[in-house]
Amino acid sequence: MNVLIPVDGSAAANRAVEYMIASVAWLKESPQIHLLNVQWKLASGNVKLFIDQDTINDYYREQGNAALADARAKLDAAGLAYAYHISIGTPAEAIVQYAQEQAVDQIVICAHGHGTLSDLLLGSVASKVAHLARVPVLLVK
Amino acid sequence: MLEMLNSSQFWVDVFKIIMIDLLLSGDNAVVIALACRNLPEAQRRQGIMYGVGGAIGLRIVLTFFAVSLLALPYLKLVGALLLLWIGIKLILPDEEHGEGNIKAEAHLWGAVKTIIIADFVMSLDNVIGVAAAAKGSVFLLVFGLLVSIPLIAWSSQLVLKLIDRFPYIVHAGGALLGYVAGEMLVSEVLFKPLVEANHALHWIVPVICAVLVLAIGKWLAARMAVKAEAVHLVDGQVSSNGQQSEGSKK
Repeated sequence: MNVLIPVDGSAAANRAVEYMIASVAWLKESPQIHLLNVQWKLASGNVKLFIDQDTINDYYREQGNAALADARAKLDAAGLAYAYHISIGTPAEAIVQYAQEQAVDQIVICAHGHGTLSDLLLGSVASKVAHLARVPVLLVK
Repeated sequence: MLEMLNSSQFWVDVFKIIMIDLLLSGDNAVVIALACRNLPEAQRRQGIMYGVGGAIGLRIVLTFFAVSLLALPYLKLVGALLLLWIGIKLILPDEEHGEGNIKAEAHLWGAVKTIIIADFVMSLDNVIGVAAAAKGSVFLLVFGLLVSIPLIAWSSQLVLKLIDRFPYIVHAGGALLGYVAGEMLVSEVLFKPLVEANHALHWIVPVICAVLVLAIGKWLAARMAVKAEAVHLVDGQVSSNGQQSEGSKK
């Protein structure tokens, strides 16, 4: 079973990882876990006129690795195998795209990422993923 | 001053300026952060400080230049045409420029130079928009500058998230810029006799300009519609015994 867990580095997002670790025992075979962090595409065409692509990618990589760190530490501690991944784009769309490319069977995502207030104003990534995805989405509370 | 706060026109203008500042805030904050990345730790804060300071200073100078230029006859016409184009560009999807020959700056003044040049290029549309929307009111100009300062220093994901949540905000922004361009056209000295003869032109021209920006923008956007795919940056595997392998994709 292929499971995708999108994380943004928030404590809430990591609850999805904890849930996965706790529920591994329910499964007959241990699942293939994919951790995914999506970085907003901050560098528009204009920025690229002035900043070289390597610097931009280094920045995304640093931010992405920082966002993945806690989730990876939890999986490492649990001794589970996983793949980790950083993409650049719009979070919900990028998550769904990755799920399709990797033929993921289920997306496990925390219902709230960074803060309830910004969820309220800006919409939550989780609800958009649930709307767009073609595979079952498990919302972890 | 105080009665100004009571007129609805004033609040409409304030709203216009906030919208223009938000949507045309440029990517100054991103450039500042990225240009200073390759500096040694000690100089990074300095670079960011100089960069933000320089960007704000430049924005103020450019705004007052724009205002004095727009006071000249015929230049309002030029300004209005520019604004129409800026409005259309706002609706179009972000285009990828070919990678230029840019090298990362590893020393302080190099980074500051990059920031200032980038600011100059990226502030122009904002400055023209705010100058046009302020219609000569010094209070509104200063207000516009004040609103743009936190955006220069901090905005990064806010605008992206807003557009993701409310995609039509760019269409509203484009229409708004078209409207402001129309207002500028009717105040052009060249057309003064014409506009005075037909008072209705005061609102007909801005509305036509707003619709024009929307129509051209949507038409061009539909022609170049390519779905923005997410780019994969890092792919890594960790096996259950903790062994790690990583491959980076371009």
